[in-house]
Amino acid sequence: MRYLCHVLVMINIYAVLASSLNLAAGYAGLLSLCHAAFYGLGAYATTLLIMKVGLGFIPALVLAMLLAATLSLVIAVPSLRLRGDYFVLATLGFQVIVFSILYNWTGLTRGPFGITKIPAPRVFGLEVIGIFPYFLFSGALALASLGAIWLLVNSPFGRLLRAVRDDEVAALALGKNAPRVKTTAFAISAAFAAVPGALFAGYVRYIDPTSFMLAEAIFVLSIVVIGGAGNFLGPVAGAVLLVVLPEALRFLHIPDSVAANLRQITYGLLLVILMRLRPKGLLGNYEFD
Amino acid sequence: MVFQLLANGFVGGCLYAILAVSFGLIYNTTRTLHIAHGGTYTAGAYLCYLFLVQCDTPLWAAAGLAVLLSAVLGMGMELIIYAPLARRGGSPLVAFLSSLGLYVAIVNIVALFFGNETKVLRPGIEKAYHFGSVILTSTQLAQILVALVLLPAFVFFLRMTIWGKVILAVRDSQELASVIGINVQYTRIGVFALGSGMAGLAAVLAALNIGMDPQAGMPALLTAAVALIVGGVGTFEGPILGGFLLGLLQSLMVWKFSARWTDTMTFLVLILVLIFRPSGIAGRRLRVEENEA
Repeated sequence: MRYLCHVLVMINIYAVLASSLNLAAGYAGLLSLCHAAFYGLGAYATTLLIMKVGLGFIPALVLAMLLAATLSLVIAVPSLRLRGDYFVLATLGFQVIVFSILYNWTGLTRGPFGITKIPAPRVFGLEVIGIFPYFLFSGALALASLGAIWLLVNSPFGRLLRAVRDDEVAALALGKNAPRVKTTAFAISAAFAAVPGALFAGYVRYIDPTSFMLAEAIFVLSIVVIGGAGNFLGPVAGAVLLVVLPEALRFLHIPDSVAANLRQITYGLLLVILMRLRPKGLLGNYEFD
Repeated sequence: MVFQLLANGFVGGCLYAILAVSFGLIYNTTRTLHIAHGGTYTAGAYLCYLFLVQCDTPLWAAAGLAVLLSAVLGMGMELIIYAPLARRGGSPLVAFLSSLGLYVAIVNIVALFFGNETKVLRPGIEKAYHFGSVILTSTQLAQILVALVLLPAFVFFLRMTIWGKVILAVRDSQELASVIGINVQYTRIGVFALGSGMAGLAAVLAALNIGMDPQAGMPALLTAAVALIVGGVGTFEGPILGGFLLGLLQSLMVWKFSARWTDTMTFLVLILVLIFRPSGIAGRRLRVEENEA
């Protein structure tokens, strides 16, 4: 039961993270390799605001989301003029820079030692302790985030986003401000990526920069692409698949040192095979171009 | 001190230039954002380790085999993965996503067989040579020598031979090249073989100098990509310039600040170039209609 709850918490975290990326990659066509950076920013900002400033969980989380959205502009504003490949590389650069800052700004983040003894999240006067309450808590937060994303993609703004993705010139001709639409979508996407960061920090109660590396960004992008970009349920399905599949390795009694490598080989090959057979992903209705 | 730093930057630049040229050759000609090039790099270093340390082959043979097999690996990726995608008319981003998957798979397969920890090709301290106030190891000298032979040879190959001209034609337009009877498919395979072999060579040189670990492919690839963009995408000689520039900048960064911030500096350069001069130093300014996609 404890184990089941743990898996469900991880699914909640990755479902929100992948859905936030889906907003940028699937709905706006902005292939980003820096969502692990926003995820990490969310984790660090929430934790530091709680521990150093003494804010409650919710206000800290809201501020962290604002921070992630603001920092996303640093990368989005200059690079949205660029073609697909260049945008990917610019986000990749941003990811490496954020990791490097988390790793080297030891005065604030304690660098490679990480932050220990993170208090359990406190909401409405209640402390979320124990694995089952944490499952409920993360589930509620995940549902709220997914609900907000659902409302967004089914709003006129969501329609505009898909229009800009499918034919930017046509959208411009209709008088839509395509660059601003894309920047806004990217900022909202970054803000929602901060939510799973806060959930992760409150759950594991310890964070260090290695959880937010480029490899993690690639993993999240794989979830979105395998599950199906541009489909609301795609990233959720991808998160369930890619979190549960490696757990199966545990029951085959494969040693931990090898299991991490096998897990990555599995999703790497899955990505290659899917791109060959079904580039839209399992549930997707959008193919990158 | 300053001369030593400049020398270190030059030695690093030699390696980056080879890597950037190999990545640029593939990117310019096939328009594939070949992230798995980092996988080829990792595989090249470990193949050399396999032959040299585990099979006791002499160094020249181990290095040669590693370069050859890296080339075969690159050709295999083109034949099995990219060519079918290109035939189907898939977008470059689909090829990029496959490449990402390939990179993850290759690096972890290497880690599965050889372990995740750092390995060295030759234990012990290398022979050092003094040139005035500058000290270079024998590996670093070999690195400079290889770059000074390989890079001019590459430029000669590209500009003076018929195969080089075929590559330039395919870079300009795959459709037009096939109209005048160039076999685009063979050219792509050749370019992947040549580029991957060069990546394997760079990997072997780097492994001799500083050792290797499975994750080393990604930083190597990123530096190559930054050098390519700084030098100028679409050009084949620009990456050489970009590679040496990055090598020197990183070395100066170590001097002025600390080695910890070299990654940050590299990507700051990338982002600044993307903002102010996306065509790179040697890049041609393209007209809007030339700018595909």
